[in-house]
Amino acid sequence: MPPRLLVLIPSAVAINLAMGFLTNQLGLPLYLDTIGTVLTAALAGPVVGVMTGIVSQLVRSLYEGFIWLPFGLVQVVIALLAALVARRGGFRSTGASLAWGALVGLVAGAVSALISYLVFRGVTATGVTAITTLLSGAGLTRAQAVTVASIGTDLADKMIVLALAGAALRGLPVRVAARYPWALRAVGR
Amino acid sequence: MSAVELRGLNFRYAAALTDALAGVTFSVDAGEICWLYGAPGAGASTLLLAAAGLAPRFTGGTIEGDVRVLGDDPRTAEGRHRLRGQIAHLGAVPDLQLSGVAENVFEEIAFGPANLRWPLDRIDAAVREAAGRLEITHLLTRSPLHLSGGEKQRVVFASLLALGPPVWLLDEADSALDAEGRGIVAELMLAERNRGAAILVAAEDADAMLGVADRVVLLDRGVIAFEGNPRELLSHDLAWERGPGGTSIAGLGRAAHARSNAARFAPPYPLGVSEAAARWR
Amino acid sequence: MRLHPYTPFVLVLATALLAFLLPAPAGPMALYAAVIGAALLSGMTKTVAGGALVTLPLWAFLVLLHVVLPGGDGLAAALAQGARLGAVATASLMLLRSFNPSRFLDAASARGSSLSAAFLVVSTLEAAPRLRRRAAMILEAQRARGLRVGGSPAARLRALVPLTLPLVLGTLSDVDDRAMALEIRGFGGGNARTPLDPPATTRRDHLYRWGAVAAVVAAAAWRIA
Repeated sequence: MPPRLLVLIPSAVAINLAMGFLTNQLGLPLYLDTIGTVLTAALAGPVVGVMTGIVSQLVRSLYEGFIWLPFGLVQVVIALLAALVARRGGFRSTGASLAWGALVGLVAGAVSALISYLVFRGVTATGVTAITTLLSGAGLTRAQAVTVASIGTDLADKMIVLALAGAALRGLPVRVAARYPWALRAVGR
Repeated sequence: MSAVELRGLNFRYAAALTDALAGVTFSVDAGEICWLYGAPGAGASTLLLAAAGLAPRFTGGTIEGDVRVLGDDPRTAEGRHRLRGQIAHLGAVPDLQLSGVAENVFEEIAFGPANLRWPLDRIDAAVREAAGRLEITHLLTRSPLHLSGGEKQRVVFASLLALGPPVWLLDEADSALDAEGRGIVAELMLAERNRGAAILVAAEDADAMLGVADRVVLLDRGVIAFEGNPRELLSHDLAWERGPGGTSIAGLGRAAHARSNAARFAPPYPLGVSEAAARWR
Repeated sequence: MRLHPYTPFVLVLATALLAFLLPAPAGPMALYAAVIGAALLSGMTKTVAGGALVTLPLWAFLVLLHVVLPGGDGLAAALAQGARLGAVATASLMLLRSFNPSRFLDAASARGSSLSAAFLVVSTLEAAPRLRRRAAMILEAQRARGLRVGGSPAARLRALVPLTLPLVLGTLSDVDDRAMALEIRGFGGGNARTPLDPPATTRRDHLYRWGAVAAVVAAAAWRIA
């Protein structure tokens, strides 16, 4: 593997992990922990994005327990989708990024809900569990509650992730963007 | 055959309107300290990256012309393989040059030699010698992440020194160092030169380089404006017209010349205090 | 006698598997107790506290979901799930405490395993705290320039931009400098390197690893039967 990727992937994963700190400080109920994955997919293609997602989940599992490992699949799905978005120049504007983000959010949310229910019977990420609890109390079945909670949070989360990633990609100096085969296409140039 | 040979080198960054380097031709011999002098943006960093084979590979852009280091082209895969561990390219920011996988300074310095598959006893000797010469032996058990900027840069120097490279390409590499550190590195470079290393240094500090450089190459907007004796360059107006200027004393001399027609203020300007005192008496 | 770098990974993986295979609620709770015991024996008392802290919020919701609200599976289920998470979290933290990046790379190299893969993980573990500190510095710098951290949800969302963009752009611009430094020092990613402190697989390693495998197999067999 070329040295640039050996540095890019850990950096992107570290960005994923650092976003939790920022959302915490701002008091936002979001994770934004896929922004690094989206970025590498948009810069260097789906394979690199998938690798970022897997390493991200692995390292996160080391810090927070291997409970989260099955959600690696969500990262993989997001990486593939992000590469697709990049290919279509979906990061060329905030509007486009948000729209694509909604789509990614729906798909990611569905996959997340599936894993959540199958593996954990609905008890996982604190935020989702909180909403699930509320919805259960309101009368939905557990399955329904988990699905709604999952997709709802993912929609907002992914829209913001893609919007931020798009802004970053557009903000890259051309000199730097030109080093990455997918970057210029991703922002529609 | 020189240690570093550049011939007709043109380089342009991606999406740039002008060349960063144009028609650059010069060589650095073994046992020589060549000073690369130029204003920010003149192309010195780019030149060093091209000589190291790192541009355009890591920087993007297009390159034309010949680059030869120890007879090999560092831009080709074969050349890179043969030149592994032979070229010490150093930047100004120490944090970006640490491996990120070393538990302590010993491992950090040993990173290069270990990658080159040296036997353990050779690695051990090289690490200890390098640490000794940079005066950081007391830091060998410390984590490289928790050192000061100056200490980190000494670790970076030691890491490359341990490889015993015959070619050094330094890009403002002493800006993170304190005065003591800079003194150690200057001595080190002189020692390596005396051992036959070829050293190309990009530096802004004319006063410091005057005592160290064997030759100077003045770079102005990607083009070589002067090549030769440092004293010759720094004592004439060319240094200001196409470069960052001469030594501080020479600068005084130039200012005096601007105000007075007296012969003693005319170029060549004195470069140091004693010279000035003698000239201007 | 130090353990081979791979052994803690085997143990953590086994803990994760056992957490789900062992019959609830006694199984996971016993596992959690065992992990805590191992941690205390190794002198890692803070790790135990850390593990508990990480899973604390989850415990609250678990109780809510399974005990307080209708449709839950009862206290036993809540205890089991909490114990599972606690056991795995604590085991993971123990792994992190004992992790030595250089020895891990040497172990991967000695096995002929992909040095690149090992490097990715090790490098990430080094980069993560560094970037977090960078994010904190960016936050302070922007605050000093007048950025407000509170306010309406929309304002807080907008605040993400001057915090995230500098982090991402700064990190990306460093990538090439770092990559170049690795290249200069002969790191190609694929090639094996001289081990600086060759990790040996001792009897204790074999004991722990096979013990872990046996435990998982036994639990699986019990589960199936």
